[in-house]
Amino acid sequence: MIKVKNLHKYFGNLEVLKGVDVEINKGEVVVVIGPSGSGKSTFLRCLNLLEEPTKGEIVFEGISITDKKTDINKLRQKMGMVFQQFNLFPNLSVLDNITLAPRKVKGLSVEEANKIANDLLKRIGLTDKVNNYPKQLSGGQKQRIAIARALAMSPDVMLFDEPTSALDPEMVGEVLDVMKKLALEGMTMVVVTHEMGFAREIADRVLFMDGGYIMEEDTPENIFTNPKNPRTKDFLAKIL
Amino acid sequence: MDFSFLPKYYLFFINGVEYTIVLAFFTVIIGFILGLLLSLMRLSKSHILKFIATAYIEFIRGTPILVQLYIVYYGLPHVGVNLPEFSAGVAALSVNSAAYIAEIIRAGIQAVDAGQMEAARSLGMRQSKAMRYVIIPQAVKNILPALGNEFITVIKESSVASIIGIHELMFNADTVRGNTYRPFEPLGIAAVMYFILTFGLSKFLGIFERRMKASD
Repeated sequence: MIKVKNLHKYFGNLEVLKGVDVEINKGEVVVVIGPSGSGKSTFLRCLNLLEEPTKGEIVFEGISITDKKTDINKLRQKMGMVFQQFNLFPNLSVLDNITLAPRKVKGLSVEEANKIANDLLKRIGLTDKVNNYPKQLSGGQKQRIAIARALAMSPDVMLFDEPTSALDPEMVGEVLDVMKKLALEGMTMVVVTHEMGFAREIADRVLFMDGGYIMEEDTPENIFTNPKNPRTKDFLAKIL
Repeated sequence: MDFSFLPKYYLFFINGVEYTIVLAFFTVIIGFILGLLLSLMRLSKSHILKFIATAYIEFIRGTPILVQLYIVYYGLPHVGVNLPEFSAGVAALSVNSAAYIAEIIRAGIQAVDAGQMEAARSLGMRQSKAMRYVIIPQAVKNILPALGNEFITVIKESSVASIIGIHELMFNADTVRGNTYRPFEPLGIAAVMYFILTFGLSKFLGIFERRMKASD
């Protein structure tokens, strides 16, 4: 579904990604782990061109998104993204947060968009918050709404950029539960996270990144019980 | 102090205030539209648009409004553009105000968290839609106080339009001064009326702002 070939990214003179090659298949849950500064967030943000790659190619559903002629706005509709800081629209109600893009980008009617929003709110268990504003929600609720907002565009893949890192510990669970449900429903997901429990339980494949490279990729069992790369060993020893 | 001229001349002041309000109103509307356009140009990726907007803003802010008014009123007819007094006044004042409003809007837009634009773009909105539906509504809220101050400034600066013969408050007060040979009283009345306008507007904006805050 997503093919990344020889991806490089510079910020000024600093090379953050030094040649990343990876393939993400339909229905797969790929979790990206690694120390901070390893380039994992940058890698994820390159996938929907929030960061423009300096070199290399990314092909999504057969279309090269790094090709200048590709309409990235069309492709982004198929790639949902969830941010560490939620980035809900503070001036809009929960309902409008979810329906804005379906209405303004896809051109759905208010009724159609509202129906999608209400179904999603049911799925994440927040129907009673439909008319609330982001300010009135807890961090966990905000992130669940942010997931619903991305899902409202019915994407083919969901990108999660450290979705639980800004949450109080007691709220991490509710967000991970929504993500687990999503994974079990067969959504293709790329998740950058420090939640090793989630990686172990849900991931089909774990990528370990360090210093701008994918150092190791394998099933969660192999990565967590029998890492081959010494850097992976070091990292896991520090955090587990 | 002798206000015995008032029964004969009070309409001069009332009409003058009306004219001042209409002049400021149009200036603010056109200035805002022009200013919004300039701020978007200044924030755009195009170097040419950015340069034009920056040059405009710097030049207008760095030259006296009186010179700008003279250029519009006396200069433009020489190149074939004849504007009647009122239109020339509105044109000059809004050209001037737009430069200040552009900077206010730019600051307001830049104060919106960068994550908002990323979230909107990640949903597939193009830049223009993200600006229109996500960024600008939040920016407007940020800039209302500064925009209110700019409107007050416009009311005060509209007095320079008296110089090209627009019958606004300052012009009429000056006419009364000439007719009655009394300088102090008519100008004092004008000053008080300007003050009532600006002070009233600032109080009104204060209430409006508190309401906006309460709705958060």
